[in-house]
Amino acid sequence: MLHIEHLSLGYGPTPVLHDLSLSLRPGEFASLVGPSGSGKSSLLRAITGLLQPQTGRLELGWKPEEVGFLFQDDALLPWRTARQNVALGLKIRGVEAKEAERQAEGWLERLGLSGLGARYPHQLSGGQRKRVALAQVLALHPRLLLMDEPFASLDAILRAQITEDLLEWVEREGISVLLVTHDLEEALALSDRVYILSGGPKARILREFAVPFERPRDPLVVRADPRFGPLLRELWQTLEVAVWS
Amino acid sequence: MVVRKEATPPNPTPSRKRSWLRPLALLVVLLGWEALAALGLLNPLYASSPSQIGRALVELFATGQIWPHLEATFGAALWGLGLGVLIGGSLGLLAALVPWVGEILEPFMLLLNAIPRIILAPLLVIWFGIGLASKVALSLLLVAVLIFFAVYTGIREVDPRLVERIRTLGGGRRVLLREVYLPSVTSWVLSQLKVAVGFAFTGAVVGEFVASSRGLGYLLNFAQQNFNASLSLALISLIVAFVLLLFAAFGALERRLLAWRSNR
Repeated sequence: MLHIEHLSLGYGPTPVLHDLSLSLRPGEFASLVGPSGSGKSSLLRAITGLLQPQTGRLELGWKPEEVGFLFQDDALLPWRTARQNVALGLKIRGVEAKEAERQAEGWLERLGLSGLGARYPHQLSGGQRKRVALAQVLALHPRLLLMDEPFASLDAILRAQITEDLLEWVEREGISVLLVTHDLEEALALSDRVYILSGGPKARILREFAVPFERPRDPLVVRADPRFGPLLRELWQTLEVAVWS
Repeated sequence: MVVRKEATPPNPTPSRKRSWLRPLALLVVLLGWEALAALGLLNPLYASSPSQIGRALVELFATGQIWPHLEATFGAALWGLGLGVLIGGSLGLLAALVPWVGEILEPFMLLLNAIPRIILAPLLVIWFGIGLASKVALSLLLVAVLIFFAVYTGIREVDPRLVERIRTLGGGRRVLLREVYLPSVTSWVLSQLKVAVGFAFTGAVVGEFVASSRGLGYLLNFAQQNFNASLSLALISLIVAFVLLLFAAFGALERRLLAWRSNR
């Protein structure tokens, strides 16, 4: 599990995030929602070790190689084909090159990218590039998936499709997820827990919401649930305070 | 996981170019030049004519006297180019990856870049003699500074998102070098190689001009002293032809190595 206590982090003397505490249980899906500059992405970077916390405690119950990070940009190597990009993480983990490429091809197939393995990123559409990035992370069988608004740049239909596919995979494999998003509906439809952050600097958790919908879950069905509207309104009111405070 | 179909952008196809336009323009210029010379409107002492230049070229090859000169110039230029890329590239890599090396090297390289390095030719002759070494040294100096900055800048301007991506996948310095820095730098270096070819030949020919007993620069000096415009222009066209050949070779290499670029 992930356990964070009184964490402060940032890039200068004034922390972006201050005195933050949260925890994530195995198989739990949590979302962080907050205004821009509230340190949501910085928190994910701190969890992966890309950023050192200034104070506080960050306990990660998974090994570093069990943590997958899905970036806002697909961040694929432009000089590697889709297959090579997916195989890269496997090769870094010591999988023999041929076997890594075979597994990569399997992942591309599973994500609806059959026959596109030899294409370079610029020869793929935005949605396909996202799927390659997703395949790259899922191929490493993460136990914790950190996602920094990974599908924000996609159109609504594509976004819904990829999110649904991902949710199905996450639920089946029991993967823990920490999602950073600006989309309150998305946070509510996907998560077991939603954390609302105040504006930065010195952002903090304003409120923690437990989401009552059962799993496995269909985001479309959840949105039609009579409890969804009132919950969304409550979340929105809290976020409004965060934005204007 | 559900398999979904999504529209795939087509593979880019090369645009059609009017490839006949440039050779035609060159032919028109050559014919015009020849006509002006034939009508006596051009002084042969200064401008010669395409047919006279052609005759001078044929004579150079038919008598076989050009070969030792070509060998000398090409030897100096290619050695200078190869060593310049190797040394400039290695120093650029070191300066970009080891901060204190960068702090020492950058001002020296900036100074070397700011001065016309050709002025070092006489000094290099004093140090290395009138043989091949002084020409190689001048070519090397011209090329190395160019490649140093290509590599140094290339590494410093690597997309930080790619570096973070590799780190989150578990890659260390070696993986970063192999998967991010070197491919990124390759595109910078390849884009500078055509300029480097010109620099390498400049170094070799100017070195031969200053002091030598053979080479195209030596022949050019000889032609100038004898007011032989035909020979001068024949030698210049020979150098241009070989440089264009190298350009084409590097162009092919660039297309092959940078196939991943979207605009190719």
